[in-house]
Amino acid sequence: MVKNSLAFEAETFRKIQPQEYLRRFIQGNIRPDGRSLSQFRPTTVNQSCITTTNGSSMVRIGNTTVVCGIKAEVATPKFNSPLEGYLVPNIDLSPICSPKFKPGPPGELAQVLSENLNNLLKSASVLDLTSLCIKEGIAVWVLYIDLVCVNYDGNIYDASVIGMITALTNVKLPEATFEESSGLVKATEELSVTLKLQRIPYSVTVALFDGQHLLVDPTEVEESITSEQITIVFDEVGQLCSIWKIGGLPSSPEHLKQCMNIARERYKQISMIVKSSI
Amino acid sequence: MSRQELIGPQGLRQDGRRANELRKIKCKPSVLSQADGSAYIEQGNTKCLAAVYGPRETRQKAQLIHNKANINVEISLAPFSMPQERKKRSKSDRRLLEIASAVKQTFEPIIMTSLFARSQIDIYLQILQFDGGTIQICINAATLALIDAGIPMQEYVCACSAGCHENHTLLDLNNAEEMADTPELTVALLPMSGKLTLLQMDSRLHVDKLEPVMNLAALGCKEIYQTLDETVREYVKDLFQKSSPY
Repeated sequence: MVKNSLAFEAETFRKIQPQEYLRRFIQGNIRPDGRSLSQFRPTTVNQSCITTTNGSSMVRIGNTTVVCGIKAEVATPKFNSPLEGYLVPNIDLSPICSPKFKPGPPGELAQVLSENLNNLLKSASVLDLTSLCIKEGIAVWVLYIDLVCVNYDGNIYDASVIGMITALTNVKLPEATFEESSGLVKATEELSVTLKLQRIPYSVTVALFDGQHLLVDPTEVEESITSEQITIVFDEVGQLCSIWKIGGLPSSPEHLKQCMNIARERYKQISMIVKSSI
Repeated sequence: MSRQELIGPQGLRQDGRRANELRKIKCKPSVLSQADGSAYIEQGNTKCLAAVYGPRETRQKAQLIHNKANINVEISLAPFSMPQERKKRSKSDRRLLEIASAVKQTFEPIIMTSLFARSQIDIYLQILQFDGGTIQICINAATLALIDAGIPMQEYVCACSAGCHENHTLLDLNNAEEMADTPELTVALLPMSGKLTLLQMDSRLHVDKLEPVMNLAALGCKEIYQTLDETVREYVKDLFQKSSPY
């Protein structure tokens, strides 16, 4: 009997049937890159790496790499909040980090991530904005938090949050005083003022595959074949800062509970990694 | 700006270098996993990341060339990279476009584009920290990234800047020296054949001074070539050892 077999190489199979490929691995309780379903990729953080900034950090989660730089400028405060400064986060996903990004104005993903980061800073009250006030109603500090992704391999949100928070912790501002006579803000040459963060949130992203398997810290390949992602943010006292799961297949409350436990554990890991990077 | 002492009485510049000394170079190929080829270079305080994608399909039919590859260079300056204010320089900023065009024209005759008809080679450069010497670091980073991507080239292309201040010829100007009104010349050289591919100068320089400044820049290029070549050879040796079964 002639056996008509189509034997594919693993790589070909991965390209033709990416979901089935992943399913085969998960049946053996492992993922294509060798990790278990609840294992995070090696994470490293470098602080104060860019000297032209007021604060900076570089975060690598596996291959995903994000550089965060914070520059401070003086601006007039909003009319209805004359004592508050601004934090302006923005992430840039350019063609350098992945072939899936086309050159041009920021795409949907970049805009959504920037907005999410902004919401996190506001809702978690990470920094007391009145501490950025120089002169009520006239001058406040604006901190532009620019994140540049240089290598995109999934889970960009977690990397951005860690990058943003660690960059904020090492921000150094000059002492600024408002001179009534000239109407100008004078700042010292020395950068001696640091920021006191009220809360330190870190996030954990989990992808849901086949409606039942939780893949922690998804890579780009895993992200592209799963349609559901759950992101949970905790702070340093174990309080929940935010959760989001947008669209995709409905998932059970069981999954959410599991994710929250994973997030609590991971928080401690990230804290230790950040502490050892100073 | 008052006439600063760019070179002190002992022959030392503001950052402690001598007149003909290059800034410290740190370079590393293959730093990004998603790109076909990548490199990270630091020249003094200027940091640049290069990623090469290609040869791949052209994005726009209009850019397709029937008998060779189209080279596309994009340079972006991170908003936090400038030492003074934060400058959100859009990608279509004229200065950046000019530099990108210079880099593209430098590499066009060097990359063997006739081997990859109808395709596109994208070179993306990201400057993370700026302290002078944009064109030179972009060219050096692109060279290393192209080698890492395995794209056939005739030779390395190494670039270096040089200037002239009060009868001293200075090599590899940093931002402070560039801003201080000194004439600045950037040279890109093919180190093995000694040929010049790019020469750019934007200020007033006495014709008599042109040759010594150019020669100094060429020497700087050759030194940079030594560093890049060493890095590439070590990297390949390392790869070979790791992939060898013994």
